[in-house]
Amino acid sequence: MKQEKTKRHAQAHDPGAAAAYAEHPDLQDPNVVLSLLEADQVVAAKTRTRFGKRNLSVGVRWLLWGLRVYVFVMLVIVLISVIRALHGGQ
Amino acid sequence: MSRSKDNRPTSAYQPAQPTTESAVTSSIARELVGQLTHEDRDRARDRWRVARARWKGRGWKSFGGLRLLWLLVGPGVLVFLGENDAPSMLSYSATGARFGVGFFLPFVILTFMMGLIVQEMTVRLGAVTHRGHAELIFDRFGKFWGFFSMGDLVLGNFLTLVTEFIGVRAGLGFFGVRPSIAVGAALVLVLAAITTGRYWTWERITLGLAIFNGLFIPAALLAHPDWSQVGHALLTWTPLPRGDRGEIVLLILADIGATVTPWMIFFQQSAVVDKGMQPRDIAAGRLDTVLGTLLASTFAIAAILATVPLFHHGINAADFQGAQFAQALEPWIGRVGASLFALGIFEAGIVAAIAISTSSAYAFGEVLGTAHSLNRPIREAWPFYLFLLGSASAAAALVLIPHAPLEFIILTVNVIAVLAMPPALAFLLLLVNDRDLMGEHANGFWGNFAGVTVTVLLVCAGLGFGLFTIFPKLLGG
Repeated sequence: MKQEKTKRHAQAHDPGAAAAYAEHPDLQDPNVVLSLLEADQVVAAKTRTRFGKRNLSVGVRWLLWGLRVYVFVMLVIVLISVIRALHGGQ
Repeated sequence: MSRSKDNRPTSAYQPAQPTTESAVTSSIARELVGQLTHEDRDRARDRWRVARARWKGRGWKSFGGLRLLWLLVGPGVLVFLGENDAPSMLSYSATGARFGVGFFLPFVILTFMMGLIVQEMTVRLGAVTHRGHAELIFDRFGKFWGFFSMGDLVLGNFLTLVTEFIGVRAGLGFFGVRPSIAVGAALVLVLAAITTGRYWTWERITLGLAIFNGLFIPAALLAHPDWSQVGHALLTWTPLPRGDRGEIVLLILADIGATVTPWMIFFQQSAVVDKGMQPRDIAAGRLDTVLGTLLASTFAIAAILATVPLFHHGINAADFQGAQFAQALEPWIGRVGASLFALGIFEAGIVAAIAISTSSAYAFGEVLGTAHSLNRPIREAWPFYLFLLGSASAAAALVLIPHAPLEFIILTVNVIAVLAMPPALAFLLLLVNDRDLMGEHANGFWGNFAGVTVTVLLVCAGLGFGLFTIFPKLLGG
């Protein structure tokens, strides 16, 4: 009884519920597939939409460039460290 | 997909907005009916199983029990056990051999906590936006920053893949297996995992392999650790490491790099998307990530404890590779223990090779807009699979080339991972705070506090390494 009530409640509030209650869902039926996925999970929906470029504030640009310079400088230092380690080991 | 009726798109793409609206009730349902793919059907099948487990659980909106957890566990466990890769386990082994039981035990746990903070954000991003990390960066920040991020990822991933195959070679080398056969067998396993055409099957195969990361536990038990000393170290963070400051700094950085790396961000978010997770699954995704953290940190601690006998007997393991650790440990943990250790290194290499090459392929497909799902058969997503297998094969080939600069790569890979993290974290934090993307699932104050703290710590660790390299006498080294 409780499960039946839960089932009716779920079907009323969740389109995927009908498919979920099925023992063997017919996944060749497009409506069954669409009922189980969110709108932007479908491949065709994703390929035709983009979130769009956000406007970066000056502070964010400085942050991203600063971190990029940091990585570059650190890679040079790593190179120096490794060359020292390899020569030290010889 | 919700759309303003008055807002006709002027570009090839229409504006995307995150939505929990079911596809069948959406305004474009009729258009989608004729455009469903194999990937959609496989993902719908996975969602049916989750929905059914939820229905059969305690209540429609509740967590739903163990079956639901079993269905939703995957990306988090895989990312952390994949990060316990060959160079990471060797870093932990080197830590135990050099410094014994002490500071590094709680320190390694701290690094996993940092990893957990970072990876939890990828769960939310993937479940809400249904987009991979590379795709989101390109969308929101443009091609310039997108290609910078991809450059970091591709370089870091390739170097790491090389070290995975070094680990595979070293691990099986303990048993006398020739390098070409060891590396070839690893490639066959990578190929076998990806030819299933189902994300779910790939995930279960890789999880099954990943659980063998636990081989370090019996190896550690055979080393008969002093548990009171272990407890003391975990509580007090002592004894502090002594000796060459340069070596200590390098190991600190290597241990951080063994836990937080850029590929983890890209991989887990893409895996969450491929798995079809939705916002209602975020709680389970968090639990999956916590479980991965717990398992991986336990196995990492085990790797440290397994090599403590080398510390007690004064064995210099500074230049040891995987097989040498196992050989050196044999007198103290026996042939069985040493074999388990060597197999653990092999497992660490193979699982990471699968996960990291998949991470690269996901990013490649997202950026180029080609099919990029393990739910697609090879004939439908051949660029994705070609890139995956190609990157793994190139790394494997490099390992077999005589006189290849492998030592150089081993020395740098974990350090490079740490250095590349701050920009990756900056993009992650910017995305997860983007209310246009995340809505109610955007970071709150504490999420940002934790994320910024991790970023600052990583930058400081890198700067410390840099300062010490340039001014070795700064720390009395």
